[in-house]
Amino acid sequence: MRKLSCKIEARAVEKVFSADSEDEVQALGPLDLKVQDGEFVCLVGPSGCGKSTFLRIVAGLLNPTAGRVDIRINPKNPTPISMVFQDYGIYPWKTVEGNIRFGLEISGIPKPRTKEITDHWLERMDLKAFAGSYPDTLSGGMRQRVAIARALAVEPEILLMDEPFAALDAQLRQLLQDELLTIWQKDQRTVLFVTHSLEEAIVLGDRVIVMSARPGKIVLDQKVPFERPRLPELRAQSDFNEFKNELWLCLKGEVENYLERVNSVDDKIGTHDEG
Amino acid sequence: MKGEVKTDSYSLSRVPTLADTSPRKYNKRRRLIETSLAFGVPGSLIVLWQLGFHYEWIDNRFYASPWEIVSSKKLREAELWSEIWTSVQRMLKGFFAGSFLGVLLGVLMGVSRLFRAAFESLLTALYTVPKLALIPVFVTLFGFGELPRIALIAVTVFFFVWISTMSAIMGVEDGYREAALSFGANKWQLFRHVLFPGALPQIFVGLRIAAGVAVLMLIGVELVLASDGLGALIEKGRTLFLPELTYVGIAISALLGLSFTYLVKILGRVLLPWAPEDQTPNQN
Repeated sequence: MRKLSCKIEARAVEKVFSADSEDEVQALGPLDLKVQDGEFVCLVGPSGCGKSTFLRIVAGLLNPTAGRVDIRINPKNPTPISMVFQDYGIYPWKTVEGNIRFGLEISGIPKPRTKEITDHWLERMDLKAFAGSYPDTLSGGMRQRVAIARALAVEPEILLMDEPFAALDAQLRQLLQDELLTIWQKDQRTVLFVTHSLEEAIVLGDRVIVMSARPGKIVLDQKVPFERPRLPELRAQSDFNEFKNELWLCLKGEVENYLERVNSVDDKIGTHDEG
Repeated sequence: MKGEVKTDSYSLSRVPTLADTSPRKYNKRRRLIETSLAFGVPGSLIVLWQLGFHYEWIDNRFYASPWEIVSSKKLREAELWSEIWTSVQRMLKGFFAGSFLGVLLGVLMGVSRLFRAAFESLLTALYTVPKLALIPVFVTLFGFGELPRIALIAVTVFFFVWISTMSAIMGVEDGYREAALSFGANKWQLFRHVLFPGALPQIFVGLRIAAGVAVLMLIGVELVLASDGLGALIEKGRTLFLPELTYVGIAISALLGLSFTYLVKILGRVLLPWAPEDQTPNQN
């Protein structure tokens, strides 16, 4: 692999899903993207634009159909990349402690060190009292805290987050965003964060990338103009909302494109039914 | 009892019921009702059965009354208990051997497409063969000792456990797999941390059904292929024209099935405290 100048470099990445070669769906790309070391990049776009697909390609869960993604990592790090999922992330058969420990166990970290790190994250995420509980007994917000702790405990160089707060209510969501902000600002890691909330993307990200309706391409790559460290109060500033509206104008067109296609598919199905 | 009271024809009112205002009292009452039903329904049937004898609706040359069964001298003979013990041993050996192989093959086939391709149609075909029809084959294979009896129970149990294990492993949510793979889990780690624990609740459902089936098969095998044990006792009652003996055997095997099934269920609850309660009805 040639020397990379940045942390993640995607070049002409495409993904085509095909059940059998007949019904092919181009889900993504071609997409080019460079992410610098320590950068927090948010991907937004209409449903089905392939943003999660791209994340899964970076995670190594899917392979691209064309193009390539190169990732620069420290070869000594046993878990260079970790991921937080929207749901199904944490295991109902493991206790909170067992879940946080999971990534460390997988990478074969010695037991005493594992214990130390797990305790640290239990403390930091305010989960100490629930160390022995099973996720079923926890609220959605706490479960997602466990998922974040599990992903960060392995000290990844790159953190991938796939709509991690989408299932939470608005208040909880904001709370966890603020928590993530604090954690990230403390030890900056490279983060790729997929969301469909512009506000979330602007509060958290250094850059916001707006993707087009399927097949997902980048239509806007915008630096977020707000200084760090950012505080929760940012959301109330007028320039925050101005910036948000600016991005929304761009995203809106894509959402409309998406809706148009969904409707035209419905029409087709309609004619099939009649015929 | 619904929390809806019609006050007049133009309004609907939602009001709390006992379940809402004093849930503890309500639950206590509900449990009491459930327990009384659980014991009351079989209890009244037994009373009816006894009455049938009392009023001679039932022919006592062919059937035994509950009282005859309970007061049977047979129950006080040490011999009966050794028969039961013989049966229990057969059942347990067969159950464990069959379950072990069933979980093993179910796991292999659940994990590997190649294994599935190789064995699924073969095993599905064998699954449908009535195992009692295989008695001659098993006797030729294993001789006349304990082995063919245990093997027949084991084979029957195997199929139930195999199918539920395989589908349980295959049914583990993709999201759970992805999470492990995203941390770089290898195949063994994926199995140990995700697939197996994720499949266990469903495997236990299979084990519980198999526990009932093991008792069914035990009695069937002993009816034809043994001179001792509960099945043989039932058969002896029939040939010697002693209905009491037959019904003692039947009653004990029913209790055996009930307790064994519950034992497996309780074991599942203890081993898998995180799992939602198994709602499938009891077999047998």
